[in-house]
Amino acid sequence: MISRRTIYGAAAVALAMLLHPGAGQAADPIKVGTIFPLSGGAGPNGQAVTNAVKVAADLINQSGGLLGRQLEVISKDDESTPAVGVSRANELIAEGVSVVIEGWNSPVTLAEQPVLARADVLDLTAVSKADPIVSGRGNPYAVRMNSSNAQDGAILARHVIETLGAQRIGFLTQNDAYGNGAQEVIEAEMERLGKPFEVVVVEQFPFKQTDFRVQLANVKSAAPDAVIAINASESSGMPALIQQYRQAEIEAPLIGAVGTILPTVFNVAGSALDGVVSADIYFPDLPPFDSIPENLAFVKAYQEAHGETPDKGAALGALALQVWAKAVEKTGSLDRKTVAEAIRGNSIEGTLFGTIAFAENGQAEHDHVLFEVTDGAKNEIKVLGK
Amino acid sequence: MKDRRERSFRAARAALPFATLALLFFVPEIAGGGSIVYSTCVTIAIFAVMAYGADAILSYLGEVSLGHTIFWAGGGYAAALLSTRLAWDGWLTALAAVVVGVSLAAILGLATLRTREFVFSLVTYAAAIVAFEIVFNWQFLGGSDGVVGIPLLTLTSPVGDFTGGSNEELWPVAYALLALSILFIHRFRRSRLGQEALMAQMNPDLAMGLGVNIQKVRLMVFVLSAVPTALAGWLYAFQRAYVGPDMFEAYFLVFMLTAIILPGRRVLFGPVLGTAIVIVQQTFFSIGGDGDKIILGTLLVLVLIVWPSGLIGAFRFALRRLHR
Repeated sequence: MISRRTIYGAAAVALAMLLHPGAGQAADPIKVGTIFPLSGGAGPNGQAVTNAVKVAADLINQSGGLLGRQLEVISKDDESTPAVGVSRANELIAEGVSVVIEGWNSPVTLAEQPVLARADVLDLTAVSKADPIVSGRGNPYAVRMNSSNAQDGAILARHVIETLGAQRIGFLTQNDAYGNGAQEVIEAEMERLGKPFEVVVVEQFPFKQTDFRVQLANVKSAAPDAVIAINASESSGMPALIQQYRQAEIEAPLIGAVGTILPTVFNVAGSALDGVVSADIYFPDLPPFDSIPENLAFVKAYQEAHGETPDKGAALGALALQVWAKAVEKTGSLDRKTVAEAIRGNSIEGTLFGTIAFAENGQAEHDHVLFEVTDGAKNEIKVLGK
Repeated sequence: MKDRRERSFRAARAALPFATLALLFFVPEIAGGGSIVYSTCVTIAIFAVMAYGADAILSYLGEVSLGHTIFWAGGGYAAALLSTRLAWDGWLTALAAVVVGVSLAAILGLATLRTREFVFSLVTYAAAIVAFEIVFNWQFLGGSDGVVGIPLLTLTSPVGDFTGGSNEELWPVAYALLALSILFIHRFRRSRLGQEALMAQMNPDLAMGLGVNIQKVRLMVFVLSAVPTALAGWLYAFQRAYVGPDMFEAYFLVFMLTAIILPGRRVLFGPVLGTAIVIVQQTFFSIGGDGDKIILGTLLVLVLIVWPSGLIGAFRFALRRLHR
């Protein structure tokens, strides 16, 4: 039975809402923009990150939203082209987004940063790895989810020098800012350990190279104790390099740079991967992630929505949204500086990476997991430590 | 009587480009203003200026330069490096952009002096690849990371200082650059050099018979063509506040050629119209990265095969048909 009083009450509320459009606006969704490559070569990677942001937003919406409002994700395609990324950033600014989550390719991120910063829009970088991204020059409030080259270098240096006891080191390095920067950092970390070592061979190659036989012959004749391969071409170059390394019958253990031994490498290289050691920051079903409830919920929702397990890129996209949402919740604000300051130099609890700390410059601090491939054909790995 | 009408008609016709040019300034306002409209208009102006450089080569020398990204990037890097490292202002960096563009064009122009058609295109393309590799690997120029932290554009003048942060603030500068480029091409078409270049393209024997030094004309046009493209790169550096090796990407090269070919060659307002069509489609009517490329590619193929004189040629043809 609906009483007359209820009807009057409802009518009064309806009237109040009509007279006060602001009351209706409070329930407007908060707009979250994403810019990743959705077409072209990196399209599948960017789609996975974008999907992950949407899944993470859905999870928040299902549990009541953020500040009492629902999240609406607006996704854009940067086509792996900085100029296009800038246009997309301008579009998102015009649409009035509260935050932009971007970044698969470093040059695209570097081009978008100043545009978003000048428009006073909070800008979180998910994956792009170049060092200048967190230098504060393009965006004084930069925040990056992926690990930095410096963090990556330390764990491999310790493994090579301390665990393997190697003294003659070989490098197979992609010849660009990423590859040379990564090698520089690993060498610096090895120096810091204070044990004698010598870099006996450095072979460089361009990103797109797939035939490494000449370089591998040089590596073999230098007789190194361990070889570190830095190659970000995870769909073609890296698996080819590993297969040719085995064919060249080089005995020295092969170490893959952090984040380069991805599922695509397993798919192509198969059993040639056996014995390769590398490290990474996210494994959906290994410790500690298999006991983090937020990760389990995310992985389940992602699998239900997309029929596959999220990879690291996807996890970093979801992490960006969760970190932002937690900071917004904590500060009760959507203001760029307020939210950024709550993240930079602070720890954020309750994300799919557990509690994650950010350095003063906005760089996320990760625990790397060192692993060895035990059966490449079956995608099996063994955790060696942290 | 007829004479007078004819004269006033001619005067009106001569004034038309200037009237159109003046109207262009108000386009952002007419389109409703707002940040997205201004950023789109500034980008169209910059890319159109970039294309006007390549237009001078394609329309008046009849050659396809695949190396104009060198001058575009040259202007951008000059602005980026000198403003971040030596704190040079807008005027000085613009001057430097022109010097860099002209110097690079002189070198490339001399190297391609005796080449024609596809060899010319090939050599200019090879030069662009070499330039890209140098920039990509040379840490002094920022390497593969490029140059970050470019300050706001500042132009000092006796009347007052100008600082351009937002696209709305940059619009007058972008417009002025566009207007100057159009006037430059307008002037060039009527100049002796422009006439000689066209003659050298259409009928080299006649040109030589009339005593035209074809190689000198080609070199002059090539060097001049670098000026608008380098200045476009200069403003782009300030608009984006970041310059990287991506300025050599095929994206910009394809953009220049499309902007010229789509409306039709040797049309004064062609490059700005072509640029506007492509940018407006990508910004307001995008159907995704792959879809956009399919649309653009199909349109280009159609224009090149069915109507080589471009959209404006087709429009003029239709207009003539209607008048009959």
